[in-house]
Amino acid sequence: MKAKAIKIGWSVVYFVAGMLLLLGMWDMVSRMTKGELPSPVATWGTFKEVMTNPWQNDPDYKGIGIKLLSSLARVGIGFGLGSLIAIPLGFVLGSSRIAMNIINPIVQILRPVSPLAWFPLGLAIFQDSPKASIFMIFICSLWPTLINTSFGASSIPQDHKNVGKAFGFSVWKYITKIMLPYTLPHIFTGLRLSIGVAWMVIVAGEMLSGGIGLGYFVWEEGFNGGSIGKILVAILIIGAVGLLLDRIFTSLQKRFTYAV
Amino acid sequence: MSTATTNIATKNIADSILEPVLTPTTAIGINNVTVSFKTPKGTYTAVKEISLTVQKGEIVSLIGHSGCGKSTLMGTISGMVKPTTGEVIANGKKVFGPGPDRGIVFQNYSLLPWLSVYRNIYEAVDSALKELSKAEKRELVERNLKTVHLWDHKDKLPGQLSGGMKQRVAIARAFAINPSILLLDEPFGALDALTKSNMHVELLKLWNLDNREKTIVMVTHDIEEAIFLSDRVVVMNNGPEATIKEIVPVPLERPRNKKDIVHDPVYMQTHDRLLNLLIDKFSIADIKD
Repeated sequence: MKAKAIKIGWSVVYFVAGMLLLLGMWDMVSRMTKGELPSPVATWGTFKEVMTNPWQNDPDYKGIGIKLLSSLARVGIGFGLGSLIAIPLGFVLGSSRIAMNIINPIVQILRPVSPLAWFPLGLAIFQDSPKASIFMIFICSLWPTLINTSFGASSIPQDHKNVGKAFGFSVWKYITKIMLPYTLPHIFTGLRLSIGVAWMVIVAGEMLSGGIGLGYFVWEEGFNGGSIGKILVAILIIGAVGLLLDRIFTSLQKRFTYAV
Repeated sequence: MSTATTNIATKNIADSILEPVLTPTTAIGINNVTVSFKTPKGTYTAVKEISLTVQKGEIVSLIGHSGCGKSTLMGTISGMVKPTTGEVIANGKKVFGPGPDRGIVFQNYSLLPWLSVYRNIYEAVDSALKELSKAEKRELVERNLKTVHLWDHKDKLPGQLSGGMKQRVAIARAFAINPSILLLDEPFGALDALTKSNMHVELLKLWNLDNREKTIVMVTHDIEEAIFLSDRVVVMNNGPEATIKEIVPVPLERPRNKKDIVHDPVYMQTHDRLLNLLIDKFSIADIKD
């Protein structure tokens, strides 16, 4: 118990040290550019300004909270649809060598394509820019989950498979009682990487598509509005939310890993 | 009418062929079984032309050095391993794959780590005995867990149990589906001597509870264990192309008492015989050279 408290104490110390290092460098660069890049203190002022009325929901102006939720919703839909396809497909690829051999080259060709290349294609298909950015998130966040799920499903230990064979498990029971539970930690690893990609892609997507969201906020109010402070605030919010999403999936992954 | 006659005729022919091998008390018939595996270096024959008959209610041990194909031979009975030539008959039917009439206890317990002790057994019962009602299945799980004294631990995950407890769960699981044949693949290999000894007694208790009607085939490399538990000990030659070297009967009365039998002359003779069969390669004379 005491050892654990000490461990947590040290991790807090390290975190604070890292943050101080970041702020120090930031402040130095700000001084070197003579305030062209706003200092941490000035940015804090902008942050407070941005954070006033986060839930303001007027037709002509939306608060930062509304923008954040709008971005999260878009990520949620794209990532959700992607996972809905990636997980079952991953099971199929992991269980069948033939399916793997057929699908794997497709995955290898499509996976490295830049998110930005998918946007115009989505636009051409859906004739609608918000839908195009969801499509972009969908197709970019598909791969890590697909690859990790299929890896998990293909590495089920013979011991577990033997149990299913020896006691005559039905296909459904095999999937729900052996395949899914064994693969779950791998699935969550994939989902964690996928949500990271999705969250990264959303900013680019919204810059291209416009509308309500953090990406458009960076472009319109930050860059076009001439406020570098707002860009910095947006970067910090995007980073913090990304970290939070990552932590959620890490804890899920730990929760479903079992000792043998 | 003519179909019926043909049926009877076929049956008679079948019976006359099978009769010598399959008397009503025969539980397992291994007929001229060879198992070969394809490897990158060519075909590897693990066991060659083995025949063995096990009576109903008999306890038989397969013993031999590591890699002598004893687990492979056991696999042909469970249906996990397909014979390359020859056939295995279990309970009067040719073995094509695993079935609920043959319960298996695996070498490394093979419990599903995400299911509680209770669920591990329940899922097996649920799959193997589909015709039972839910209440009957629950009753079976409860009874078998109580027999191995693990009812208090029913909600634990396998990761929270000791090796001996895990093995008891695996045995309870195999017994719960009430197979007439029980196959144990080095079941006590990973246990310490004391736990192992207790498990032997537990196993025999379960066997007794069932009126000694279950046939048990066990793979082991422990001579004492083989003698204490078995009616016959099948000693195998070293692989590849392993065969049966000798079948040693164990004419000790049951119930056997672990402390007393070690002083029994019959025990000592059997022990010596098995020891000689297993380690004849290394005599003191060899070391002197």
